[in-house]
Amino acid sequence: MMNNDLNNKKTPVMPVRTDMSGKAKHKNNTRENNTNAQSDDRAGKLKLYSIGSVVLLIAIVLLSNILFDGIFGKALTFDFSDYNQNTISQESVDFLNSLSPDTHIRIVGLFERPDNVAETAYQCIIPLLDDYVKKSDGKITVEYVNMTEQPSIISQLDPSNSYDLSSKANSYVIQYNGRIKIVDPYDCYSYDEESLAYYGQYVVIGNNTEFTFTNAMYNLTSDSAFKAYIITGLKEAGNVYITKILDAMSIDVTELPVSENFTVPDDCDLLILNGPNSDISEKMYVAMTDYLNRGGKLFVAVDYSLDNVSVRYERLNQLLNQININIDPVLISENSPGYQLGGYSVDSTVTATDDFKDYAGIPYLHSTYARSVREISSANTGAKASPVLVTSEKASLLEVDSQGNVTADGSSSESQYNVAMYAVSSDVKPARAFVFGTLNFSSDAYISSYGLNDSNVDFFRSCIRELASDKPVNALTITTKDVENYSLSPEKATGSYATAMLVVFMVVIPVILVAMAVIVYTKRKNL
Amino acid sequence: MYAIFKREFLSYFRAPVGYVAIAIFTFISGFIFYSQFLTGIVNISSEVISLRSLFVVIVPIITMGLLADDKKRGTDILYYTTPISLFNVVCGKVFASFALFMIMFVNVIIHMIVVLCCGGVIGVGAVGSIIVFIFMAFMFITIGMFASAITDSQIVSAIVSFVIIFVTQLISMISDYIGTAMCSLITMIGIDSEKASSFGNSVKNAVAWFDPFAKTQNFRIGIFSVSALFFLVSIGVLFLYLTYRVLEKKRWSQA
Repeated sequence: MMNNDLNNKKTPVMPVRTDMSGKAKHKNNTRENNTNAQSDDRAGKLKLYSIGSVVLLIAIVLLSNILFDGIFGKALTFDFSDYNQNTISQESVDFLNSLSPDTHIRIVGLFERPDNVAETAYQCIIPLLDDYVKKSDGKITVEYVNMTEQPSIISQLDPSNSYDLSSKANSYVIQYNGRIKIVDPYDCYSYDEESLAYYGQYVVIGNNTEFTFTNAMYNLTSDSAFKAYIITGLKEAGNVYITKILDAMSIDVTELPVSENFTVPDDCDLLILNGPNSDISEKMYVAMTDYLNRGGKLFVAVDYSLDNVSVRYERLNQLLNQININIDPVLISENSPGYQLGGYSVDSTVTATDDFKDYAGIPYLHSTYARSVREISSANTGAKASPVLVTSEKASLLEVDSQGNVTADGSSSESQYNVAMYAVSSDVKPARAFVFGTLNFSSDAYISSYGLNDSNVDFFRSCIRELASDKPVNALTITTKDVENYSLSPEKATGSYATAMLVVFMVVIPVILVAMAVIVYTKRKNL
Repeated sequence: MYAIFKREFLSYFRAPVGYVAIAIFTFISGFIFYSQFLTGIVNISSEVISLRSLFVVIVPIITMGLLADDKKRGTDILYYTTPISLFNVVCGKVFASFALFMIMFVNVIIHMIVVLCCGGVIGVGAVGSIIVFIFMAFMFITIGMFASAITDSQIVSAIVSFVIIFVTQLISMISDYIGTAMCSLITMIGIDSEKASSFGNSVKNAVAWFDPFAKTQNFRIGIFSVSALFFLVSIGVLFLYLTYRVLEKKRWSQA
């Protein structure tokens, strides 16, 4: 009924004047036209305002970003990384400040700067180099040049082509006053030697980028002419890390391979025999004796491992006997629990003697599989040998067969033994030598595991400084930065836990959500 | 604005869209987490970086209906007649989508808790990646919102936002191509190859300047840059304004 009433109600219609005169009609049309014109005008203005405001805002956004980035970009960039991986330390800042204002060190990356450095070898390098530039007051510039696109860069950096830069793509070249140093990005890290040896994997355990670059720049800007030769070809394990350390000390390091015509070069300031697993030859003995007689400096490090258990180093001992030192073919076994590390008698603490206790921050150092080094008094009465590192009073000496088993009656009585000794000859130009019975101070395996700022490495540096005291060498002490380790606890990261993760995150939760979606969809469909 | 936010946020859960979006995100983030967990090394920062590639799928899904659906049903007239500003309407809708994104992100928080319980580490790089993820989500949602404002079809809106976000993710590659093309073009004219290369690089850098991923990449290694975040926010605000202008245009054209 009500509906009918509503339906019957007619909308009131405005009375229309049908007898409108032509004049009135014209008047109305004019008014309408005026209104339309006003409306068009207003719409046009609104459109203009709309477009104008959008264009203006785009311009403001672009300009403000460019200005903000240019003015505050560097100031408002913060390095919150663990161990300040991307910021240079005070030592580097001090070194940069010590350079004269007109110094210009040019660092060139022989590749295009990558857009994304995360999880690449450049991750810790590129941001750090940016920080060098930021803090150097214009003394350092960093650029990235693709050698294939700009081949002239090779002749600019190395006009004589002595470094074969064309084969050094992906490396950095540091240039100062015409001298250059090449830094391979992979040399900026320490790797876990165990993973490398057993699994062939490069697992980064330390970041030495700052150490490498600052010391390379230090080398280039200092005028040291100290030259060291490392003897190679005696089945040694490798000399990568001591080369790095010596290089960082402004020591020019060259390999001296064993050969039929072995001679020690005249410009040799330091001769290094690091971890030989075979004895020196007769020819080498003669050449090295001559070198010592000329007042040469010698660093020898051997150990007692299965690789050299049967090597007695007879000729090497003949050489060392001239300065009253002998390396014995016996293994030092530490019996004092206080000195043992992890309960192992062959992995122990050794103590620096009084004369050498300042060589490292702490006088207690780490020795593994050490041979005994002892003084012999009869050979050269003029030479003076003194202990450098000693065991506790409760150490003993073991004779071991080629299988690593202690031979019958191979154990000596408990006493204190020397792990390292220092000798000076009495000649007019005295020869000097450090002889270590352990490789824990100079081997790649040890240094890569413990880093370049380990106490043993510090001790090694001091020994080198002592040997080089005629021509003082120096290096900046830059700490190795630890790298974040994202490993889970082995007890928790098990297969069953992983399966639980799979079930919960990839099955249970998504299935519940999809089921809820279906329920909601069904309910909506039935509305 | 709160009323718009509430209505829009709840609408995600009154339709299957919200559940499906969260389910996709949970599944994929779970897969990434599980893959890392299997190796015994979990870097949350890597997970978050990988999840950024999901923007191209998730953002169109959750933003396609924001305005396009209202336009299609004709309910958008309410925005023009209610006594709130259109800018508040736009903001309310964006924040609703953003809130949904944050709910999805709870998955990553749960993964972080699992990592800590399993003796792992949440590095500062992870924090940086999360900050970037949040700001980038805001930026891409405003882009999706804009795409939804220019059409009354949800499918068209999803395609437009997909294309814009996809191109944004490829800017670095596109800039490489443009740089190389410019270099080749200049070399063809007969200009010295080194100068051409330098010009090509300049063009490449100019295009790459717009790449939000390149600008924020250092957050992952612990370097936090305020200017990079400023870039993301300013682009977000720009698209918010563009959306507002589109609605304003419609209001006056209706009038």
